[in-house]
Amino acid sequence: MNILDIERLRRSFGSLVVTDDVNLSIAPGERHVVIGPNGAGKTSLINQIGGQLAPTSGRIALRGRDIAGLSPNRISRMGVARTFQRNNLFHNLSVIENLRLALSVKFGNPLDCFRSTDGDVALLERARGLMRQVHLDGDGARLARNLSYGEQRQLEIGIALAGEPELLLLDEPTSGMSPAETTRMIELIGSLPRSLSLMMIEHDMQVVFSVADRITVLYYGKILASGSPSEIQANDRVREVYLGMAH
Amino acid sequence: MELLVAQLLNGLVYGVLLFLMAAGLSLIFGLMNVVSLAHGSFFMLGGFIGLSIVHLTGSFWLALILAPIPIVVLGVLIEVLFMRPLYARGHMDQVLLTFGFTFIFYDLVQTVWGRLVQRLPTPEALQGSVQIGVGVFSAYRLFLIGFGFAIAILLWLVLERSRVGAMVRAGVDNAAMAAGLGGNIPLLFTGIFGFGVALAGLGGVAAGPIIGLYPGMDAEILIPAFIVIVIGGMGSLRGAFVGSLLIGIADTFGKAYLQSLALFLIYLAMTVVLLIRPQGLFGIKYSDVSITSAVTGTAVPATARRRLAGFIVLAVLLILPFFLTDYPRALVSEIFIFAIFAMSLDLLLGFTGLMSLGHAAFFGFGAYAVAVLGTLFGVDAWIGLVAGVLLAAGGAALIGFFCVRLAGIPFLMLTLAFSQLVFSVALKWRDVTGGSDGIALAEKPSFFGLSLDHSLVMYFMTLLFFVSAFLALQRLINASLGHVFVGIRENEQRMLAIGYPTRVYKLLAFVIAGAFAGLAGGLYAIFNGFISSDALYWTASGDILIMTMLGGAGTLIGPPIGAAVFLLMKNVASSYSEHWLTIIGVIFICCVMFFPGGIWGTVQKLRWGGARS
Repeated sequence: MNILDIERLRRSFGSLVVTDDVNLSIAPGERHVVIGPNGAGKTSLINQIGGQLAPTSGRIALRGRDIAGLSPNRISRMGVARTFQRNNLFHNLSVIENLRLALSVKFGNPLDCFRSTDGDVALLERARGLMRQVHLDGDGARLARNLSYGEQRQLEIGIALAGEPELLLLDEPTSGMSPAETTRMIELIGSLPRSLSLMMIEHDMQVVFSVADRITVLYYGKILASGSPSEIQANDRVREVYLGMAH
Repeated sequence: MELLVAQLLNGLVYGVLLFLMAAGLSLIFGLMNVVSLAHGSFFMLGGFIGLSIVHLTGSFWLALILAPIPIVVLGVLIEVLFMRPLYARGHMDQVLLTFGFTFIFYDLVQTVWGRLVQRLPTPEALQGSVQIGVGVFSAYRLFLIGFGFAIAILLWLVLERSRVGAMVRAGVDNAAMAAGLGGNIPLLFTGIFGFGVALAGLGGVAAGPIIGLYPGMDAEILIPAFIVIVIGGMGSLRGAFVGSLLIGIADTFGKAYLQSLALFLIYLAMTVVLLIRPQGLFGIKYSDVSITSAVTGTAVPATARRRLAGFIVLAVLLILPFFLTDYPRALVSEIFIFAIFAMSLDLLLGFTGLMSLGHAAFFGFGAYAVAVLGTLFGVDAWIGLVAGVLLAAGGAALIGFFCVRLAGIPFLMLTLAFSQLVFSVALKWRDVTGGSDGIALAEKPSFFGLSLDHSLVMYFMTLLFFVSAFLALQRLINASLGHVFVGIRENEQRMLAIGYPTRVYKLLAFVIAGAFAGLAGGLYAIFNGFISSDALYWTASGDILIMTMLGGAGTLIGPPIGAAVFLLMKNVASSYSEHWLTIIGVIFICCVMFFPGGIWGTVQKLRWGGARS
């Protein structure tokens, strides 16, 4: 069974259609990259999967269960995690606190109003493990807003991984990064376990082709093409409207 | 029939006065995203300046024309000198700033013009009455209706037909966009603020011959004007007009035919509109997700040094009463009670990021539970206290259920509406609550066999509750639940994406805060031996907001400091200077402008160089 099946998904704002009859499937473990020019509806698509935006019509099935229009917190607890295009952290909290909040919903007791969080050693251990996984070990006490831009994006991914999701949605994880930071991010994404399915929006073609198993091209809300990286590279229409512009 | 028409005309008159208030309030909100709590003060000042002009010149018409001029000057000065520097910091600070000015203006008015109700003379030309169809009506009232409609049409023409109007409309839609189109936004803001307060001042003069002038009329006219812009739609002139006439007529008819239910029905109408159409009848839907709150403090976990400091403070508090006489002992007891109240608000405001302007309602639940159960049913005050805490928690659950759907200014307005609903019940349900006359408790309960009539016993009783509440809240803040609250304050969207049902947690924060406020209210009833509806009025919610912000929201130590400073000012400064209201207002304005972290936040910043906050 596919981890995600999107069928005939449609979202409009008045006469503007940002998602137009989109059909898309992601197999377990697949790394699926969505590309397309600005305004193609990529973020709107991720927002509908994550629950931040309700679709106008259509179906979004997570392992066969329709999640279209559910609230973000329910979708999250069903195993879908996401990062945001703009840094979306708890900027005034420390790295460890950011991760602990993300872990607590599944592995802690968020309703505990009596014991200090520092007493939960298991949770702290998990947070340290996440810090290692996203290459932030030793940075636990730093405030999120004092991290470098690249480190903040790493923390974003750490927060997303905290709930041990089955499907991870990454919205332009390398945008605004330096080449060195981008290389580290590709490494980080490459090191994610294969049990995790991935859907990623990306502009940087180096990242796209080093990560993707499959690529979907969006153009004005519609799917222009979908296939393996080599198929997409060979597709004339894609070259015309998208790759042609990028090169 | 004649009576009906007369009521309708009275309704229209009240509606027109509300419109003069609401039009400015609404435009200012639509353009600047600021709810000016000082708008009623400009209405009041307008009326009194008009009074002085009438005394000097004998002409009502001169007053009507000239009184708005000093009001405009004042408004422009406030906008340029005080509000403009805060644009970058978000509109909540500006709301707080305007609240600081209400204290100064109130004091100014009662100092210059006295505390008695005064009436502007009706202009000679309009002293008679006019026969129209079914009856005889006051000429001045008819004039007022015409005047109001003329102003409304004039405003509409300016907004719809002129270049400035187009800029204002564009600014209401999207300030950044309007700036891009070449509008001078700061000048536009100043202009609209000045224009808005001029209308309010004009309203004050026009109201003078009808409703009279007195210090405190500012708070009284502000609330119905709020209701108008909530119902009509914030930022919409049409909404302000329709809303004003609706509320004006509904209020007049309600008072004539439903008596005590009228007040209740109007608050209910506002609540229903906010829930079904948060943007109001004619309002544009606006997003208010990026609330940049002034509060960023984080609880610092207890270290050995902090614990030691805590023990020293406790030791001082334990020894202190033996060096004090009865009166200061009672004052410190009162501070302990209000410290609990302020800490409870801080759980919402500082830790969860929800600015409530209706927290006095829960204080009221607690206080009335003790007083009503005690006097009507002879229930022991301590059982009443438990009942009060439960009642406050239950009330908070019910009110919170509706409020936590909103955020930012709409949240503030809805908490205000609900608390005024509770206030109107306390005011009008006289058989039980005693209304504004209040209820006195027959006797103070005993505390472990000791009489609370003794100030020393009262001191230690309130100290015990304060320390317990402080420790309980400190544990909560340092536990998982407290961290979730802070997470919601920092970034609610992220909390949702992580999987937290944030509404449930916000409701939980609301209920816990309500319960502690109820505890404070119950203790206050025991301490004071008397409770009246005044303790629930919206200005009481404002006072506790000031205490919390003054001491430092987002910390647990700040609110008790704020409560102490505020009550010391109120009781000590008032015995040395009549102008303690001005002093409090100035201190609060300075705090908002220069020390946004409050007293404790500033101390922390100095000690840790800002690294902690």
